[in-house]
Amino acid sequence: MTPRFLLLLAMLLVAAPGLAAEGHSATEIVRAAIDHWRGLSSYTEMTMVIHRPDWERSMTIQAWTRGQDQTLVRVMEPKKDRGNGTLIDDNSMWTYSPKINRVIKVPSSMMGQSWMGSDFSNKDIARADDIIDQYEHRLLSERVADGVTVYEIESVPHEDAAVVWGREVLSIRDDYVVLEHAFYDQDGALVKALRSSEIGEMGGRTIALRQRMAKIETPEEWTEISVNAVEYDVELGDEIFTLSNLRNPRD
Amino acid sequence: MNLVLRLAWRNLWRQPRRTWLTTGAMVFSNTLLVFMISLQFGMYALMIDNTLKIFSGHMQIQAPGYKDEQKMRQVVPDATALAGRLRRDLELDSIATRGFAFALASSEVRSYGIGVYGVEPRFEPAVSSVPGLVREGRYLDDPEAYEIVIGDVLARNLQIGLGDELTLLGSGRDGSFAAAVVNVVGIFDSGVPDIDRNIAQVPLAAFQEIFYMDGAAHSIVIKAPTLDQAPAVQARVEAMLPADAGLVVHDWDALQPGLRQAIRADMSSAFFMYGVLVILVAFSVLNTQLMSVLERTHEFGIVMALGLRPGRLGRLVMLETALLGGLGLAIGIATGSLLTSWFTVRGFSVPGMDEMAVAFNLPARMYPEVTLLTAITGPAVVMLFTLLAALYPALRLHRLHPVQAMRAH
Amino acid sequence: MQRLRVLVLLAWRYLWRNHRRTIIMISAIAVGCWAMIFMTALTRGMVDQMIRDGVSALPGHVQAHHPDFLDDPSVMNRMQVDEQRLGARLEGTAVLAWAGRVRVPAVVTSERESRGVTLLGIDPEAERSFSFVDYDAVEGRFLQGPGDDGIVIGAKLAARLDTEVGKRVVVMSQDPDNEIADRGFRVVGLFHASMASFEENYVFTGRRTAQELLRIGDATTEIVFLGDDYREVEPVFTTVLDVLDDGLAVRRWFEVDTYLGSMLRVMDGFMLIWVIVIFLALSFGLVNTLVMAVFERVREIGLMLALGMKPAYILGQIVLESMMLLAVGLLIGDLLAWATIVPLEGGIDISIVAEGMEMMGASSVLQPQLNVADVVMSNVVVLVLGFLASLSPAWRASRYEPVEAIRKVG
Repeated sequence: MTPRFLLLLAMLLVAAPGLAAEGHSATEIVRAAIDHWRGLSSYTEMTMVIHRPDWERSMTIQAWTRGQDQTLVRVMEPKKDRGNGTLIDDNSMWTYSPKINRVIKVPSSMMGQSWMGSDFSNKDIARADDIIDQYEHRLLSERVADGVTVYEIESVPHEDAAVVWGREVLSIRDDYVVLEHAFYDQDGALVKALRSSEIGEMGGRTIALRQRMAKIETPEEWTEISVNAVEYDVELGDEIFTLSNLRNPRD
Repeated sequence: MNLVLRLAWRNLWRQPRRTWLTTGAMVFSNTLLVFMISLQFGMYALMIDNTLKIFSGHMQIQAPGYKDEQKMRQVVPDATALAGRLRRDLELDSIATRGFAFALASSEVRSYGIGVYGVEPRFEPAVSSVPGLVREGRYLDDPEAYEIVIGDVLARNLQIGLGDELTLLGSGRDGSFAAAVVNVVGIFDSGVPDIDRNIAQVPLAAFQEIFYMDGAAHSIVIKAPTLDQAPAVQARVEAMLPADAGLVVHDWDALQPGLRQAIRADMSSAFFMYGVLVILVAFSVLNTQLMSVLERTHEFGIVMALGLRPGRLGRLVMLETALLGGLGLAIGIATGSLLTSWFTVRGFSVPGMDEMAVAFNLPARMYPEVTLLTAITGPAVVMLFTLLAALYPALRLHRLHPVQAMRAH
Repeated sequence: MQRLRVLVLLAWRYLWRNHRRTIIMISAIAVGCWAMIFMTALTRGMVDQMIRDGVSALPGHVQAHHPDFLDDPSVMNRMQVDEQRLGARLEGTAVLAWAGRVRVPAVVTSERESRGVTLLGIDPEAERSFSFVDYDAVEGRFLQGPGDDGIVIGAKLAARLDTEVGKRVVVMSQDPDNEIADRGFRVVGLFHASMASFEENYVFTGRRTAQELLRIGDATTEIVFLGDDYREVEPVFTTVLDVLDDGLAVRRWFEVDTYLGSMLRVMDGFMLIWVIVIFLALSFGLVNTLVMAVFERVREIGLMLALGMKPAYILGQIVLESMMLLAVGLLIGDLLAWATIVPLEGGIDISIVAEGMEMMGASSVLQPQLNVADVVMSNVVVLVLGFLASLSPAWRASRYEPVEAIRKVG
């Protein structure tokens, strides 16, 4: 079970050299990306900019991940949102706000709502779907650009997968940097896409430093995440991913 | 003329029993019509009034598109100030500002998605009946307190009571994470399950803080002194809105599109029934007048032989009918008004209708009131059809041949 | 017997002596009778449809729930019922059909929209008698069994979600441990309902599929029972009480939907009042006609009495005349009503006031319903009241002093 957000993080932030260029099936490429990341832990600081035609909001967030199942996200800036947090453990999602000093389990009816006002839904962030089990992957094309091979992989959700998309298309470089993750509706029209606009070295790896999620119909509404700092393979104890830590940060 | 009138009047009483029976049919129908129409229009007025006073008011100022999309960002900026200005300039207190947001309401044990209204505790009671429906506890009073009133179904679903804390979770106007803990101070019971299950109210200032409204709200609800004055008030409000604000005013018909249609549907069935009554009365009159003409064939023959033109005779018959109808009209309006007035004092209710009344936002007991219009409309139509019914016997006189007529029995 | 025949013949002849008056009176009675039946059929059709849509279609005549389900409609308050045993015990009772269902609040999401709905997991075989969906009008197909993993949604909901038959949607709900339960469903059918709100609020899938999604084994949240007639639910109610285990909340439809319950009562009362009002409006004309008929032949009546005819016969004859008048009028009115209602039975489209009708809980297609009991009721009421109304002029006629009557100028 891989929470989707972790999957995104896995594929966007984690880079590993040496994805064999030739002869890999699409499933293997995706599996390799996940396998590589599985069992690892990370600590990331990033800035999330939510843009709308008439306003823009920026927030700084910290994220801890361990394995595929556990994520803790906490807002640092702006001040009014400081301390707001989200904990994902396995299949469940909790949210905490210091203003009300309450931890609330996000019910299914709220999963479709926007996560912290961004263009990601709670479901995008937390949904527990195994990308390997829930999708059928197919290698569409393979091309070489700027000296790296880019695999274009089409992922079609299974009949009973809790995914509304008709298909998703991932463009993954052979060093695991995901260039693009596109979501198509069931008529085959592109609805939204997550695109990497800046790729560079950080935390000892090549990662996407800046990505933007935008709906195709409303290009003026987007959410951009840029990585400020990242550490991989950090020691994270069990106590990080608990409700009490969500409520009372230990740092 | 006086003579003709007296003649007509006398003719009417040649068969007093028949005349009274015909008059009786008219009086019966007219009484019923006056009562029914008074009740019906009173009911419609109440239905509109009670439906509108739950929430929508007579009109609302909103951002364009808000009515259909209800997006958090479609706001009326600086709404309380605008509402204050309107209250002052219109010299009308029943103007209240509201914010609205979907939120997740959580108690210790349950979570439900609900609609949260931010309201001005001082002015909300003037535009909405919900504050008056608080069954347990009290309504909001402090404009800034983190307090909430909820419906009784929601209270049961969430398994909470007065004094308990409720957590609200939603998205702010800027899309940010909005959360608050509020105290349950009141539980209302409107009798409408949808409202009692889905609606909660918090003070506007608290609402604006929780949902980052930045002084804005979603609607300004206005209730004119009476429904009749609503269009005039609306015109004034529209003129008063700042031209560059880009705000719109929706009237109650736009806010509650089902209401007028429900009334229209009910009216058409009522008019069918009234129509049948009127037609039956018309038959009665036709019968009577035809008889009275046929009876007098012999004497009509004589007066025609003496040189009276059939037109004059026809007018005589019509005059008789008019007198007959006038009698029915006068007595009918009198008895109808009396009957209705009796119910105005006593109240009128159909046993077992309570639940139906609730569904249409009507009180269980109604107090119909006679107005000039409701007293006259029905009987006037009956009068018209009475005269139409008499046309046939009156025109028939034109075909009368004096000699043959005189030979008639 | 012979006398009766003479009396009938006489009455009939007298009736047509003044054919204009008789024709006018018969027309009035016919119009009145037509209006009674037509109006009754319209209201009956409306109320019946409301109750069919609102009760027989989905909630059933009698419902059983976990007692806490009413205040807290969550999957936590579910029931474990041995359905095989239940089925066996309901065999041959007043319960004609029954179905166990899973009913939970859920959110359905497409690529573009998401909506709160009620998810019903059903066994289509058991639901056959519950007519909540017009099976013939389903676009695509309806569910095929309890294990069907397709979803059937309303056409209006599909439009709101911007989805269609053949596409997938995601349904999210909660399992008893408050964990998220979600999965994708392929839309296999779109149903149409007479009420827009029904089309928007209900989605159906196979019962087993829903139970798997919610992780509740073979538990259900409601069992619904259908008898023969929504007006007579007592036999069903007592049977269900008897057959079901204790500790479940069993309710009749009018306890579940008090609005429709009172609607039915009010409508029944209204129809009787309507018939009586029409009769009263007619009665003036009727009595008038009879009075005239008597008045015209005072001399003849006097003669007959003088010749030794019993006053009772005079009375009988006048009453007979009145009954004939009414019978002919009613017959024509009945035929008229039949002729106007039958072509309309397919439904009268009143969608211009659809939102208003929806407010009343009625659909925008009015299907008048010719109900034999209603027709009989209105005819009988008119005849009985007509009989009473004609007694007075008839009695008067039979009391004439022969000599005075003969002297009277006719």
